[in-house]
Order: sequence, then C-alpha cells, then structure tokens
Amino acid sequence: MSMTKSQRRHAFSAFRYLVLTVWLAIVAFPIFWMVSTSFKPDREWFAWPPVYISENATLQNYLVVWADVSEYAVDETGNLETVAQSLQRPWVALRNSALISVISTTLTVLFGAVLAYGVSRYGILSEGRMFQLLMLRMVPPIVLIAPISIWYSALGLLDTITGLVMLYFLTTLPYAVWMAKSFIDEVPREMEQAAEILGASRMRTIWEVVLPLVRSGLVATFLFILILTWSEYLLALLLSKTAVVTLPVELSKYQGSTEGRVYGRQAALSVGITLPLIVVGLIIRKHLARGFSFGMVRR
Amino acid sequence: MSRIELVNLRKEYGSVVAVSSMDLTIEDGEFIVFVGPSGCGKTTTLRMIAGFEDPTAGEIRINGEVVNEKEPGDRDLGMVFQSHALFPHKNVADNIAFGLRMKKVPQDEQARKVQEVSELVRITHLLGKMPAQCSGGESQRIALARTLVTEPSNFLLDEPLSSLDAKLRRELRAECDRLHDELQKTFVYVTHDQEEAMTLADRIVVMNQGEIVQMGSPMEIYSNPVSYFVADFFGNPAMNLVEGEFVAGANGLEFHCSQFKIPLPEKFKGATPGKGTLGIRPENVTIGASGGGASISSEIELVEPLGKDTLLYFGTEADRPFVAVIEGTQVVQRHANVDVGFPDDAIFLFAANGDRIR
Repeated sequence: MSMTKSQRRHAFSAFRYLVLTVWLAIVAFPIFWMVSTSFKPDREWFAWPPVYISENATLQNYLVVWADVSEYAVDETGNLETVAQSLQRPWVALRNSALISVISTTLTVLFGAVLAYGVSRYGILSEGRMFQLLMLRMVPPIVLIAPISIWYSALGLLDTITGLVMLYFLTTLPYAVWMAKSFIDEVPREMEQAAEILGASRMRTIWEVVLPLVRSGLVATFLFILILTWSEYLLALLLSKTAVVTLPVELSKYQGSTEGRVYGRQAALSVGITLPLIVVGLIIRKHLARGFSFGMVRR
Repeated sequence: MSRIELVNLRKEYGSVVAVSSMDLTIEDGEFIVFVGPSGCGKTTTLRMIAGFEDPTAGEIRINGEVVNEKEPGDRDLGMVFQSHALFPHKNVADNIAFGLRMKKVPQDEQARKVQEVSELVRITHLLGKMPAQCSGGESQRIALARTLVTEPSNFLLDEPLSSLDAKLRRELRAECDRLHDELQKTFVYVTHDQEEAMTLADRIVVMNQGEIVQMGSPMEIYSNPVSYFVADFFGNPAMNLVEGEFVAGANGLEFHCSQFKIPLPEKFKGATPGKGTLGIRPENVTIGASGGGASISSEIELVEPLGKDTLLYFGTEADRPFVAVIEGTQVVQRHANVDVGFPDDAIFLFAANGDRIR
C-alpha cells in the first residue's frame, strides 16, 4: 500500500515530533530530577521505586541550604559554630561567583569586541592566527595548573577574586573574539563607509552604526561567556580553596565525605546556581533570538 | 568650481596592478561614466577618489587641492553605493539627516533640508518607515537623498542601479539624469552596463585591465571605437565581429573567412595582409537593397521579431552568429536567401592584436 503525498508528509511530521519529544525528555530529565529532588524530604532521596514528584514536598532543603535554619544544626552532631559558618557559605559563594563571572565576562566581551573589530576590519590577525588563538584554548587548562599555581603563589594571586578574574578573562577571550568577529563581519563595510563619507569619525561610526547592529550579537556572546565562567569548576577548585569559594566548588563540597551525600541539599543548591542564569537569559531573550540567529543585517 | 584631477594614479594589490598610471581631469558639472568589465579597475579608481583606498602612487586633486591624505568625509564628496548601505536601525528620515547631524547643522534646518530633498527624489511618503520596509528602488532613492542632502559638489556613484530589475533601472537612470540636470554638480558614475554609460554620460571612460582604453562622448565611442575591445563592448545587439584574414587580391584587399569572401573598401588598400577581424554593426548591415558596398548571398537561419525591430541571424554554427537588424514592419522568410550588404563606410577592421585599422 502506498501513501499519498499528503499522507507521507503527515507521517514524516509525526515522526519528527516523536524524535524531538524523546530527545527533549532525555535532555530535560536531569533538570527535572534536580528540581524534583530539591523538594523531597530526606527519605525519598534514595527511595526505590523512585519518587518522581514528591507527595510530601517540602522547602526544607532550601531552608537548610539558603536560610539559617537551626534544624540543620540539630541534625548534625558537630559543634554549632561550624554549622553556622557552613550556613553562610552558599551566599558567600554566590557573591563570589557573581563578582568573578560578571567582572571577567564584561572584560572579555569588551576586549573581545574591540579585538574582533580589529580582526574584521583591519586584519590585525590573519585567519591562521585566529585559528591558532582558538587552538590555544584547546589546551586542557589542567595541564597548565602547575605553572599557574607557582606564579599565582609568587604574585599573591592564589585564593583571590582578581586571580580568578584574570584567568577567566584570558581563557574565554578567544571565544569572545571568534563570536564577536562573526557578528561584526555581518555588518557590510559599505555601511561604515557611507557613514564616513557623510562626515562621521571612526569612533562615531562604530558608536552609531556598528554597535547598534552587533548589540544583539554581543549580548549573546556575553551570555555564552557568562555561562562558561559561572559554571567553571576546575580552576576555581585548584586556585582558590578557602578564602574565595565559587558556587560550583561549594556544590562539590556537598558530595564530600565531611557532610555525607545530602542529595536534597545539593539539589537545592543546584537550583540556586541555575536560576540566576535562567533569569539573565529571560531578561535578554529578545537579544538572544536575534543574536544567535546571526545574519541579522539585511544587505 | 569643482574639478577632480587624477594624476598618474596607480593602485597595486601585491603583484596585481588594479589601476596603472591613470591621468584624467573631470570637469565641473560633468557627468562622467567609468565603464568596463568587472576587474577593469573602475571601482578601484572611484574608491581611491572617495578615499577608501590609498593609491600606490600618484595624486588625486579635488578643487585643485591634493586630497590623498584627507579623510573621505573631508573631500567634499557624496557617494551612493551599490548596496545602498542604508543604516537599517534608523528610519528613513534619520538616515537622510545623518550627514547633516555629523556636520552639526541646527535641528530645524535639518528637518527643512530632509523635507526638501525628499521632495526632490519623491520619497516624502517614506520618511517614517524603516529601510527594511522599503523596496529596492525606494532604497536607492533614499540613498540618493542621504547623499544629496549634504550638498557635496561631487557625486560618486558605484554601480547604483545594478541591484535593481530592468524596469526600475531605466526609471532610476532617468532620475539620475534629471538630478544631474537640476543640480549641475559633477557626477562620477561607475557601471559595467554599456547602455547606462551611453544614456547617462557626457563623457565615457572605457577601462580594461587597469587602463583607460578610450575616452569620449557616447557617440564617439559608438561610432569610432579605437579597438576590438571597445567595439565589442558598446552597442546592443553587439557589433558583428568576424575572425578571418586580409588577403591581397586582384582588385585590392579582400577579407576571407570560413563563411564568405568580400572585397574591402578602397580606404583599406594600405593595410597589411594577415589575420584580423572584420566588424560591422547589425543596424548597418543591409538586407536585399544594395547599400553601395560588397554583398553576399546568405540564408536567414533565424528570425527574431522584437516589435519595432527584427533581428536576423546568419551563420549560426559559427562562434558568434552574424546579426542584422531590420525594421519590424519588413516581412522576411526564415530560410530565405537574401543579399547581405556591407556598406563601405560601416566596415571596421581590427588587427590581430585588437587595434583598429583605419
């Protein structure tokens, strides 16, 4: 039996939705599980058969992690002082993470955009050099940790916000240059030349013609870099152990032997790590749709 | 008084010579058209005048002043680009006002001038729109307005019509002509379209491989091409150019090719025999009647009625067919044998190197 053309089209469409739904379920499941677990009481964390949506949903995990709830101290057998300190830690880590990632991302996008403009318009880096720049980023950061540690220790940058900002700035700059360049390349040169011959200075041209056209792209670049730095774990773990702890490092401590496997607390912290990025994404989503679709300039 | 002088102007990109030693004076109020195939150096020349490319050697003078070191914005120029290059994030009025704003013209005067120039190019109804909402033709008018509004004494136009369809092109071509007439400013226009060059130019500069091949009024270029290249480039349908050989015969020089042999007019008797090309414009070929010159009998292989004219094709198996134009009212039969005449004064001869033989 052969299908008609419109039957075939419907069948294909149904198949496509099926594939996408399965894919979505696979991708979204860990996120669902994180959120679900964060609301589960202790006994359901390991329950079998697994509890998908808890009937005894509680804010307990959030209160313990994010608010100074004494019940946590009762659960623990350790001394009260340590507990009190640990209760402050997520907020300190949040502050550290926010400071470090916002400062370094801002610097990266700023310098990246300027560098990208130079590459795009003045050819200050050849195609080959640009590729080398990206290749450099392919080096696993961990292999450089020894020299970095030595120098950071000598310069007093270990365990400081400045130290991490510098490192994040350097490691994300190649991405920023590549992304920003692709957006600037989209702006036709003739558009800048039109402004120039009408009497606009170079700075004026960049400010009035180029920047408005690449703004969405730069916002998209910003978010991309922000996600990278926000979730960076390895360098943060190795270069700042005590004084400056970021959220991912803080999260890892819940997996450690000192506190036991407190999955519910961990999930509550994870939600707290994820939410800020989602909020930022929502705020700038108008730009993202345009920024990530490239080709936004009508020629 | 405005005059653009190019003195010994040269541009090289690495080992490629884009423009080689160009000398040219463009007079005040002249409409000059640079024409040639792509890569001939016409756009490079224009971009050097604009200041977007630095010459490798030579001088550009505008109004008597050397401008090589001046920024594009300080050269008293306006430029219209092939891509229109409108600012997509500004509305039409803001696009037009851009140049005035850069020159710090007071607000109320800006508004007045924008209005004025929009009336001149008939786009007042578009002022509030965004460029993306305007058609190609409208965009080019806006680009014109944006350039006109700052009142430069020289206009550079870089293939401004090539992105438009044929009908719009004709319409805006007439518009360019009208604007030039009204403004009496110098227009430097670059195109690869011989028809645009013919219809617009006071003077045509034909370029090929970085050099000026011929300069002159459209009629001069058409009726007196200096070389095979120019003869081939101008005219629609193109000139018939038949490869063959000049042979000394009993009664003077003859032209022999694979399809026919004809005696050549008296005036060519001094020419050296050898390989070469015979040229004759389709509109000068006579059919049936004797036009006072050599003629051959040939079969009409294809008849192409265009309305006003009819094109007749002969020898279609050759590299390029031989074409004749006759009045549309004349009746001819396909496959009929007719006398194809070569009036003496319509024959052009070109040597093997492309030079004209006079």
